[in-house]
Amino acid sequence: MMLLERGLIELLLNVMTREELNAFLRSPQNTATLVGGLIAICGALLGAFLLLRGLALTSDAISHTVLLGIVVAFLLMTETFGMEGDISSPWLILGAALAGVATVLLTEMLYRSGLVKQDAALGLAFPLLFAIAVILVSRFVDDAHLDEDAVLVGEIGLAWANTNSHCFEHCESVTISPDHPAAKHRRQCLNCRALGISPRDEDAEFRWICSNCGHYSPAQAYSAGLLEREPLLVFFPKSITVMLLMTALTLAFTLIFYKELKLATFDAGLAQALGFRPGRLNYALMILVSLVAVGAFDAVGSILVIAFFIIPPAAAYLLSDRLSLMLLIGPLIGAAGAFFGYDLARGRLFGVVPVSDGIAALNRLFGLDLIERWDSSISASMVLMIFVFFILAWILSPRYGLLSTLLRRANRRRRFADQVVLAHIHNHQHTALHSTECRMDTLHEHFRWRPGKMRRVMARLRALGYVRVVAGSAELTERGDRQVHAFRRNMLEAYNMPDLD
Amino acid sequence: MAAAEAPASADRRVWIIIGLIVVSSLLALPLSQQVFGLRLTYTVRVVALGGAVLGVISGVLGCFAVLRQESLLGDALSHAALPGVAIAFLLAGRDLSWLLIGAGIASWLGLRMVAAILHTTRIKQDAALGIVLVSWFAAGIALLAYIQSIPDASQAGLDHFIFGQAAAIVERDVSLVSGVGLAVLLAVALFWKEFKLVTFDAEFAGANGFRTGLINTILSTLIVITIVLGLQLAGVILMVGMLIAPGIAARQWTHKLEQMVVLAAVFGAFAGAAGAVISALDSDIPTGPMIIVVAFALVLLSITLAPGRGLLWSRLRQRANRSRFAARNTLLNLYRYALRHGAANSPVPDDFIRGVGDRSAELGLRQLRAKGQAMFSKTGSEAGWRLTDSGIQQARQIVHNEKLWAMYRLHAHRLDLPLLQEDRQAAIASVLPAAAIALLERKLREVEDNA
Repeated sequence: MMLLERGLIELLLNVMTREELNAFLRSPQNTATLVGGLIAICGALLGAFLLLRGLALTSDAISHTVLLGIVVAFLLMTETFGMEGDISSPWLILGAALAGVATVLLTEMLYRSGLVKQDAALGLAFPLLFAIAVILVSRFVDDAHLDEDAVLVGEIGLAWANTNSHCFEHCESVTISPDHPAAKHRRQCLNCRALGISPRDEDAEFRWICSNCGHYSPAQAYSAGLLEREPLLVFFPKSITVMLLMTALTLAFTLIFYKELKLATFDAGLAQALGFRPGRLNYALMILVSLVAVGAFDAVGSILVIAFFIIPPAAAYLLSDRLSLMLLIGPLIGAAGAFFGYDLARGRLFGVVPVSDGIAALNRLFGLDLIERWDSSISASMVLMIFVFFILAWILSPRYGLLSTLLRRANRRRRFADQVVLAHIHNHQHTALHSTECRMDTLHEHFRWRPGKMRRVMARLRALGYVRVVAGSAELTERGDRQVHAFRRNMLEAYNMPDLD
Repeated sequence: MAAAEAPASADRRVWIIIGLIVVSSLLALPLSQQVFGLRLTYTVRVVALGGAVLGVISGVLGCFAVLRQESLLGDALSHAALPGVAIAFLLAGRDLSWLLIGAGIASWLGLRMVAAILHTTRIKQDAALGIVLVSWFAAGIALLAYIQSIPDASQAGLDHFIFGQAAAIVERDVSLVSGVGLAVLLAVALFWKEFKLVTFDAEFAGANGFRTGLINTILSTLIVITIVLGLQLAGVILMVGMLIAPGIAARQWTHKLEQMVVLAAVFGAFAGAAGAVISALDSDIPTGPMIIVVAFALVLLSITLAPGRGLLWSRLRQRANRSRFAARNTLLNLYRYALRHGAANSPVPDDFIRGVGDRSAELGLRQLRAKGQAMFSKTGSEAGWRLTDSGIQQARQIVHNEKLWAMYRLHAHRLDLPLLQEDRQAAIASVLPAAAIALLERKLREVEDNA
């Protein structure tokens, strides 16, 4: 991972100076947006396949189980192996992802036993695992990166602060041994606490220990004042590296197995018959989802992450009928949500409208007394912005949107009204009843319409040149006649009936 | 299996089991005092009572959620309640009834939104639930973060609604929950027939003039109210577990809705009270998770132990079936080999019978010997397995039964016999009238005489 980061930094140093890069990465906004955007890309790509297979809630499932994996792996690392707990350690990510997949398999077994329905198995097993994880966290884990708050919302706002340092020049790492000139020594009482002896007693036994011995990386050595020359350092946030890796994996997986994924998603039976292995592909998908969920846990916690899996693909699904397009739109929506979400958390909707104005307006309208400064959770705001984009897609989608559906329905209603009126006139024209059935001032009664509606329909039909008014009665023009016949022919064909005329 | 038993006795059996469970969980109260040295202080009693009341309500309503396969809807609805809590706090301050009303409205709006997405787009139910669940929850989290930035509001303890906190419950809360809960239970009793009908056969209900849309709405609203009542204790994330776990556990014991609802109420009361008490003992343990763990233990217990349906029972039944099958097959193998090599009681070599029967032969031989139908002699040319008289009689009976079944299959139509599912394991005399058996016997004799 360090090597990867180093290569990346060297690439970036070709286009910007070290100071610029450090300043860029040290900005909480840049790092948070970058991490959020990467999560959104991974989530939307994998989520699209989950959505199309009707497995959207599997991401919910996996994110819950992965939490237990993380907690158990974390406890194993710190308690059993005595390592330093680090949520972005690759071992922890791998272990937790495996735990996630294993638990998904376990629930499958639970409902295959036939005693519990699938939804009940999901609705029961995942709260349970989550519950155990929360009990473990609140009872046994004492770590700032893994508490109940981090479980809920993550700490994407602090992602910039958890970094690996890379040194490029004047790199001296320092090892301080007890005989090093800079070593500091301190007395420690060996038998004080146990026997109730105070350090001032004569019986107290002491030994000397070195309080600052150990290995110092260049960055640590410089900040401890052990170096005279400042090393040239780049601080790279760990979350970015982890999510970059996940994004690369996800992209590679979708590109390489695009054809197989597409086939297995839309026609699993055919895929099986053609000798692909849709089952294995499914497991690969689950493993990737688990990996991404673990990678994103540090940043957005274990519940909000499912928004990145479900909402952008759903919005893209409303906007497009093509899988390839869906895979393009989804990540864009997710990344845009991450971008604007940071602004929302800091009080600016879409980066321009201040939220405090809205709160002030509410205060004035309802006589409330709310604080106008809006400072909120970044990850939750990102989810909210993604949701806003979903709502926009829902309303505005050209084919499936609420607006276009309403327009289409209104259009259809209008065309239907036109056709029944034309058919009515056609039926009664040239009959004895024409003057009573088609009189302009009573025409609406035959349809039980309000007069206003009839007037609008007639105005339209006359403007189209289908109907003219002769002596207070409506009759068809030649164009109108042709229209009625065309419509009649279409209908007969549609119902497969012979034309008896 | 269950259908074969007399329904009335099965019914009574389940009621007895329910009674036993009630008595034993009531016994748990003094036992917990004796064994664990638990001191039931006033606070613990209040909390336990609250948990139990809540457990009863959510157990009853949860049955419907489980049977209608709407467990995940419950999950989404409980998450969706969070922003309502936050908004109600901003508008009305920390008054529990307002907070719960806010939660109810938000949750109900979530329900409508799921319906709207399903109705107007091609997005399927799972994704619609996921969208509402996570965006409503995010709105709640964002609002809570905003509330926490208000200086004097940080002590409000609204974050208790996320994981639940029993220690925060006072007597007034319990009486509020009990009052509303009683109303909910009354509503269930009032609409019992309607709820039962739309749960099991909504189309039939609609065809008979019930307004299924309205009934569904009432039922969903009751479920929302139940979820909202439980928020303070179980928290928004885990409330679904409290809702459905008692129902799932109860489902294992019975096939009747009445019994399932009563049993779920008992299970729910136990899980709620036990979980709340355990978490009240140690402020580090949030209540919601603890209740879920207890409830899941009940589910696990039910899945393994429930008579008739449970894993243990079906495993036992499987074993009994396997050994009966092995005994029967081995007996027939011995009988046929012996007939082909002389008389019915001529010896059969050990190698042969084990080779034919594979692993089941061992099982079968052991049983035959135990029943005295076959015995093993080692001596001389007579070495091998030999059927006893009772074994021979048994084998003849089985063969004869099978032949009668064969006759039945060939001639049932021509002889105008009642139509049955052919089951050669069953004694044909027990399923057909004596006259029909006599006809089949005559047919069989004709065939054997011709041969």
